[in-house]
Amino acid sequence: MNKNDTDYMVETRGLVKRYGKFTAVDHLDLRVKKGEIYGLLGPNGAGKTTTIKMLCGLLKVSGGEAHVNGRQVPDRRIAAEIGYMPQEIALYLGLSVHQNIAFFGNIFGLSRREIDEREKALLEFIDLAEWRGEMVANLSGGMKHRVSLVCSLVHTPPLLLLDEPTVGVDPELRVSFWDYFNDIKSQGRTILITTHYMDEASRCDRIGFMRSGKLIAEGTPDELLTLTGTQDLEDAFMRFSEQTVREGQL
Amino acid sequence: MKRLHFLTVTRRVFLDLRNDRRSLALIIIAPIFVMCVFGLAFGGEVKNVKVVVVDLDRGATATPGGGTLSLSEKIVSNLDTEILNVEYTGDRDTALARVENGDAYAAIIFPEDFTASALEQVKGTAGSPASIELLLDKSNINVANTITRTINDALLATMDQAGVQPPVMVDTVAVFGENAKFMDFFVPGIMAFAVYMITTLLTLVTFVGERTSGTLQRMLATTLNERDIVMGYATAFSIIGIGQAVLLLLVGILVFDITVIGNVMLAFLVIALLAIVSQALGILLSSTAKREAQAIQVLPFVVLPAFLLAGIFWPIEAIPAWLRPLSYIVPPTYAVDASRAVMLKGWGIEKIWIDIAALVAMAAFFLTLAVLSLRVRKE
Repeated sequence: MNKNDTDYMVETRGLVKRYGKFTAVDHLDLRVKKGEIYGLLGPNGAGKTTTIKMLCGLLKVSGGEAHVNGRQVPDRRIAAEIGYMPQEIALYLGLSVHQNIAFFGNIFGLSRREIDEREKALLEFIDLAEWRGEMVANLSGGMKHRVSLVCSLVHTPPLLLLDEPTVGVDPELRVSFWDYFNDIKSQGRTILITTHYMDEASRCDRIGFMRSGKLIAEGTPDELLTLTGTQDLEDAFMRFSEQTVREGQL
Repeated sequence: MKRLHFLTVTRRVFLDLRNDRRSLALIIIAPIFVMCVFGLAFGGEVKNVKVVVVDLDRGATATPGGGTLSLSEKIVSNLDTEILNVEYTGDRDTALARVENGDAYAAIIFPEDFTASALEQVKGTAGSPASIELLLDKSNINVANTITRTINDALLATMDQAGVQPPVMVDTVAVFGENAKFMDFFVPGIMAFAVYMITTLLTLVTFVGERTSGTLQRMLATTLNERDIVMGYATAFSIIGIGQAVLLLLVGILVFDITVIGNVMLAFLVIALLAIVSQALGILLSSTAKREAQAIQVLPFVVLPAFLLAGIFWPIEAIPAWLRPLSYIVPPTYAVDASRAVMLKGWGIEKIWIDIAALVAMAAFFLTLAVLSLRVRKE
């Protein structure tokens, strides 16, 4: 598959991750279209984070294959096309907001001028412009989450892999985060987000329900609700989950 | 540009240190503190040791018609009073009691016929050899050796004054280390030890932080690879190691008046190599810990062997032969040996190349393992 010769920013075929006898991701077929927000939903241990980490090259693939923007994982060139925001804050608390952003910008070979321009725009975007010189250790939890998002955006990647970015974030900030995500999407970029908050899932263009390493259902929020005849995505997930168990697929 | 990618990590390590005054203090103050504490504690010579003299010597007449000579008095007067604090007592039992009570380290007892016997020995006439009885507290071997050496020196000085030459002489010529003090020997050792200890500790703690905070994963999800990260740290800590060595050398020269006769740049190269080995070891050990508290638990296993086996305080030859192989797997051993040879003996790279080769091999080995320890996480 050639780069850009696909409509999918992320495509996995029979992707497997095993730890000894335990299968964390079990023959996952996933397709994330360019320019969409795709939500991977599921309980803890469903394999969401493992999937993201395989796409980032942080974990080796045990079986199947995964492609990011047409390049097969692992490929070091993919790193430049990904903005990865892990579950943890994952910032240097002893560095200032600017120093953290500059560090990640430098890694991607950005010039000082580029870093300054992008940092200015991004800090305004997340409303932290006046905190530029502050040590990250002195910021509130919500602020740290926002800086973490900026660090994954500084090199303007076409794909954002966000691993439970709103865990531990207060409801008000979670709304702001989704505003940011929609803005990013409006710039034509793709977001693959993992979450176990069902209310957030309704904000995604498409959702994939994961359980025990498998993708048990996929579609737009409305499609999934219609298919299950339920009112909310939590019930829809439970229906698919029960159905899968009944059919003996788990 | 790509080849120097690791410098981004190096720069970040320095930024982190610049912002973190506590770590900066650890890097700057701790080695000086270690050196001063050990230097002052070990560097001073044994002085003011209380000894009791029982002088029962009646003296003798050396030449017909001459006055009475007391060799015991002359020997006591030749004792170095900076080292020995001499007190007199009348009899052997009292002197022994004072040693037994810990009131004195030794009792020096001159028998009644001491001078007479000595003179007879010198003249070659029959008689038992003159002997000094030394009741010695040998529980502190350092002090005991000093007392024995001081008495021997006084004895030789007295014989010299009396124009009596001992039958055998050892003529010592200092090939290296003429007038060398303990601190001259000690500074290169403590320089290597301080750099090893602080670099390993700092990398270990920092890297456990990188792992637990998620920054390591975040870095590895960028265009940086495991090698870049390890190289970035290695570069930063080798520069820091050189800085520490410069600092320690300055303190050694200015405070402890040490003498350096060799090329210090070569010594700095050795210390930089040791710093690279140490940081790689720190990264490697960090993979065994999930939290900083766990990381600290492995530290005694890193620090103590180096402290005791690397030849910092005593030569490796003084370590039991069966234990000596362990000395050769402790990285500071080679740095101590090489920097001491450079600074004290003025040796060049042509003579210390084995030490340098050992450090380079260890650096390559531990750097490879450090990179692999980061890669293992992907499995």
